[in-house]
Amino acid sequence: MKKEVLQGIVRRNEALADNVFRMEIQWKLGRDDVKAGQFVNVYPKSRETLLPRPISICRAEDGLLTLVYGVVGKGTAEFASYKPGETVTVSSPLGNGYDLSAFEESAAGAGKTALLAGGGIGVPPLLELAVRLRQKGANVQAVLGFRDQPFLIDELEQAGAHVFTATDSGAFGYRGTVLDLIRREHLSAEYCFACGPKGMLRALAAYGGENGWNVQVSLEERMGCGYGACVGCVCGIRQKDGIVRREKVCKDGPVFSGAEVVWDE
Amino acid sequence: MSKTVDMRVTIAGVEWKNPVTTASGTFEREASGAFYDLSALGALTTKGVASEPWEGNLTPRIAEAYGGMLNAVGLQNPGMDVFLEKELPLLKEYKTPVIVNIAGRSVEDYCRAAERLEDSPADMLELNISCPNVKEGGIGFGTDPKMAARVTAAVRKATGKPLIVKLTPNVTDIVQIAKAVEGEGADALSLINTLLGMRIDVERKRPVLANKMGGFSGPAVKPVAVRMVYQVSRAVSLPIIGLGGIMTGEDAAEFLLAGADAVAVGTAALTDPTAPVRIVKELRSYMERQNFSSIRELKEAFSE
Repeated sequence: MKKEVLQGIVRRNEALADNVFRMEIQWKLGRDDVKAGQFVNVYPKSRETLLPRPISICRAEDGLLTLVYGVVGKGTAEFASYKPGETVTVSSPLGNGYDLSAFEESAAGAGKTALLAGGGIGVPPLLELAVRLRQKGANVQAVLGFRDQPFLIDELEQAGAHVFTATDSGAFGYRGTVLDLIRREHLSAEYCFACGPKGMLRALAAYGGENGWNVQVSLEERMGCGYGACVGCVCGIRQKDGIVRREKVCKDGPVFSGAEVVWDE
Repeated sequence: MSKTVDMRVTIAGVEWKNPVTTASGTFEREASGAFYDLSALGALTTKGVASEPWEGNLTPRIAEAYGGMLNAVGLQNPGMDVFLEKELPLLKEYKTPVIVNIAGRSVEDYCRAAERLEDSPADMLELNISCPNVKEGGIGFGTDPKMAARVTAAVRKATGKPLIVKLTPNVTDIVQIAKAVEGEGADALSLINTLLGMRIDVERKRPVLANKMGGFSGPAVKPVAVRMVYQVSRAVSLPIIGLGGIMTGEDAAEFLLAGADAVAVGTAALTDPTAPVRIVKELRSYMERQNFSSIRELKEAFSE
């Protein structure tokens, strides 16, 4: 199927926490057109913001796309202003999502435990991932870290995840980092799926590596085109032969194996 | 009664089905081909390829700016071996000429790249002596008429393929560079590459780009590019591929009226992945509306 830039219609757009919004968009794509961990480019209308904003897919149901996004600049501030009924320009799903091949066959997925680790605005893609993993029969544990205001906790619990929450301030849940909480709860999983700040991903990749986990991390990088044309967003990825190559976060990622990522280039 | 529109152009002996190609560094076969049929374009211009792999600059490589963007990718490319083996054969599957943009750090480096392409199915070469984001080579050759002439002459000897030389706007007099390059056997010119720029994050009080400076492109540069195409087209007799901020078919027409024979679409493809094919359609609509039956007619309609 060709990728496209599509017109969607905003159905809801509301604040979940300070500077965090959830937008529900009616579009023509279905659930099967999306993989957990993919993102869409959202194209601002203002002439001042020329480039698209890559936003991870939080939920994908038939005909309905849910994005949870942080307001961090002019583009995302524009998105936060959209009212129900307004059009929004979005791309087809982009990037490679999380690799769920270990859970593909129901027999293989059933009973396996997946540990989802999210930090701040890295939490949203874990919701679609939790839904899909539960449908494959996996046990899902989600360890989520926030500065001080949690969001999407209820949704993850409704999806069937066992949720552990940490905040930097201690305002909600455990006071500390995601990795502190994983250690404190003695959580373990053969498969770990993470999305969040680079420091968190790096620490998790190291901890998972020591414990023999398979850790997949979803990286964030300043993007230009968001679909693989401009080579603006790259990360050093160690190849099987040991050579480090700079791969495109948008097209070759955003999900990479935590063990392959070169963290300090 | 509207006439049939013939959009064909011939650039340095190579026929294009329409005058629109991609600007180097803003097109990738698989990524762009996921959005539209690449055969619909007049030609496909690759990202810069060097004789050996280059790893490019550190990130952030991209910074938005009013009316455009800065990039400091630094010509990351997999090198000629990988390009010839894995990329070029797949590019040649599309029914349109392939222009290979070549990068180098020295005259010899450019020549090696050109020589490697000599027996390849590449249709045209574009010599990139105008990239502002690499320390050696690139713009260093494009800002000095003597150096521009020297590298053009050397690559001219190294290749029998049609040779386009891509010029930088970061010079006092682009006409002087264009003439120098014409004198050493270039078959065509493409202009303009990006304008050297910089952005500073006022909250963090530091440059936005890891490379500090980068190339500014996008709609804001268009008047500069149109002016340079206009000046160069009146001073040399080579065909010109005009580029710089083309966002619509009307923008493309503006370059053709200014003296370009073809155009390249760059930054627009980052803000709209289908921009190159959309611009072909919009240019056709413009020609129909204006009752132009050929690109030559369009160009000849300019009056001053």
